[in-house]
Amino acid sequence: MKILVYENTFQGFLTAIYEAFYSLEKPAKIISKFDYLRDFQLQLETEVVEISVNQEKADKVYNAVLKKISTGTLSNLYYLFLSSDYDKGILAFYYLKFAFKKGKYTDNYLVDENVKPVHDIVWKVKQEKHRMKGLLRFKLLDNGIYYAAFEPDHDITELIAPHFSRRLGDQFWIIHDLKRLKAALYNKEEWIISDLTEKELPPLSAKEIEIQEIWKKYFKHISIKERKNNKLQKSFMPVRYWKHLVEKEE
Amino acid sequence: METVKKMAILADSAKYDVSCSSSGSNRKNSGGVGNGALSGICHSWSEDGRCISLLKTLYTNNCVYDCAYCINRISNDIPRASFTPRELADLTIDFYRRNYIEGLFLSSGVYPNPDKTMENLIETMEILRKEYKFFGYIHVKAIPGADPVLINKAGMLADRMSVNIELPSEKSLRLLAPQKSKEKIFKPMAQITQGLLQIGEEKGKYRFSQKFVPAGQSTQMIVGATNDTDLSIISLSQGLYDNFKLKRVYYSAYVPVNEGPNLPALIQAPPMKRENRLYQADWLLRFYGFKASELLDQDNQNFDMDLDPKCDWAIRHFDFFPVEINKASYNEILRVPGIGVKSAKKIIKMRKFGKIDFLGLKKLGVVLKRAKYFITCNGRYSEGLYIYPENLRNKLIQKKPADMQIKIFLESGL
Repeated sequence: MKILVYENTFQGFLTAIYEAFYSLEKPAKIISKFDYLRDFQLQLETEVVEISVNQEKADKVYNAVLKKISTGTLSNLYYLFLSSDYDKGILAFYYLKFAFKKGKYTDNYLVDENVKPVHDIVWKVKQEKHRMKGLLRFKLLDNGIYYAAFEPDHDITELIAPHFSRRLGDQFWIIHDLKRLKAALYNKEEWIISDLTEKELPPLSAKEIEIQEIWKKYFKHISIKERKNNKLQKSFMPVRYWKHLVEKEE
Repeated sequence: METVKKMAILADSAKYDVSCSSSGSNRKNSGGVGNGALSGICHSWSEDGRCISLLKTLYTNNCVYDCAYCINRISNDIPRASFTPRELADLTIDFYRRNYIEGLFLSSGVYPNPDKTMENLIETMEILRKEYKFFGYIHVKAIPGADPVLINKAGMLADRMSVNIELPSEKSLRLLAPQKSKEKIFKPMAQITQGLLQIGEEKGKYRFSQKFVPAGQSTQMIVGATNDTDLSIISLSQGLYDNFKLKRVYYSAYVPVNEGPNLPALIQAPPMKRENRLYQADWLLRFYGFKASELLDQDNQNFDMDLDPKCDWAIRHFDFFPVEINKASYNEILRVPGIGVKSAKKIIKMRKFGKIDFLGLKKLGVVLKRAKYFITCNGRYSEGLYIYPENLRNKLIQKKPADMQIKIFLESGL
């Protein structure tokens, strides 16, 4: 069983897809180094090929998708890469194989076995992106920075950063993905992505607790007790996100 | 009084207004804080499962009116509180910067009179928009009876405005809210509609036209406080969408908060199922091309509690079916129970590239359990399906009969 292992960047992902297209024996799996290192079973396999990033090969795939298929397909490929799906590599390979046959109409084949799994994953990533625009919570630190920690299912930090740079453009903020130990840092002009380990934060600003108390009070009182429906609440706002919600903290 | 106490009192007083939508405005952030998100964003969900998008509060819960259904009526002995414009604007900004909310939903009891109330709301919005350069979403109530000049001014600052009709008939108004009248409620609504139309015209003439309630206007009706029928409610909605260009009509299952001779008993549970049916019907009006008169008539004045309005319509118009998935128009496909707007659009898109069969429909997300009785794929019904129109209703009613459940229970040997 041939297994390709790629470095966990979009370029690395595209390089692996390139190699898959140009190798005689088609790979059974294309997985990220991150997943590979956690999978001991897989490490016993013999035919593991580690692919290092090759900008030229990555560009070739990128441009071919853009020219011969569509920007929509390229965007799907990127969202797929950001997902935490274990099989995203091999799914991308079969999706593109199909796409090079069907060209710009690829994404109209909504129920095709090569297309639907990709669309389903892309939907999940987009869904989480939209949810986090609402569920992210900033806390004001005493150094004047608004800090938000979250643990999303998918790697969506760079997907939501543009939204917050437009919206909260006149304040310093940090969006910190505690699962992937990366963060978006914004300095009132531009945002960058950086590695950020979990270290001790500066204390909260004096006003922060007061505002949080008012918000919690509001949250409690805006609910109509005669209509109580926790199941509905959880279906909209999955419990795994509650950890970082001010109003759900005890 | 501390802000946190005021917040508790005024949130309690505001919560029976169901609208919390933040959609429809794409106001840009130009050098301040906030912007509109066209599709709207929910920021949290309270324990009743309702979305929290805006900071929904009253400016004051003091009120000179004595509407029988309202928690804030003058004759109720409840804690009273008022914000100041500055306090409320500060709170909005503090919440917004922490991403708790999309903006502010600003309503108020009428105190001491409509003009003064409207002025307080305007002052709050002016601090937000002008002083704090806030470009986030603001939904404001137009207070019936306020000077048209004030209503217009509010419209220039807000993204959405609403006037609540609350009771769908003149008779019910007389019974429960004798200080209000149909004219008083519809006058500001008509003015907002007029303002929207005027801005629409100017858009073509000038390069920069001012914004006037870019997210349109909405209203709310209480369900179950009076004996108004679903037909009268939904017909009124139809009129509001057609004539007043409303964006949304909200329905609020009446929560008995007061005692009164003309009101349902305090112990009665809110009619949630009925509210749900009205929303389903409302969607049919707005997105499915149905008319109120198709859904209900003089012989059927209320919705069937066991069956959703679309299924109900389909059974009563069985000669309209079957719809052939590979040939029928978008509007015909939309009328099939179990097919929603998204699935219908996908069907239209997909069938250009090949015939669709039942398996394909299932993968698209069509609810075949309901749809199969009303459609054919490539000229055929679903395999092995026999349709007895007289039995269709029972097949479509979702809940299992009680004895059926017991039977399953016994057979499974538990």
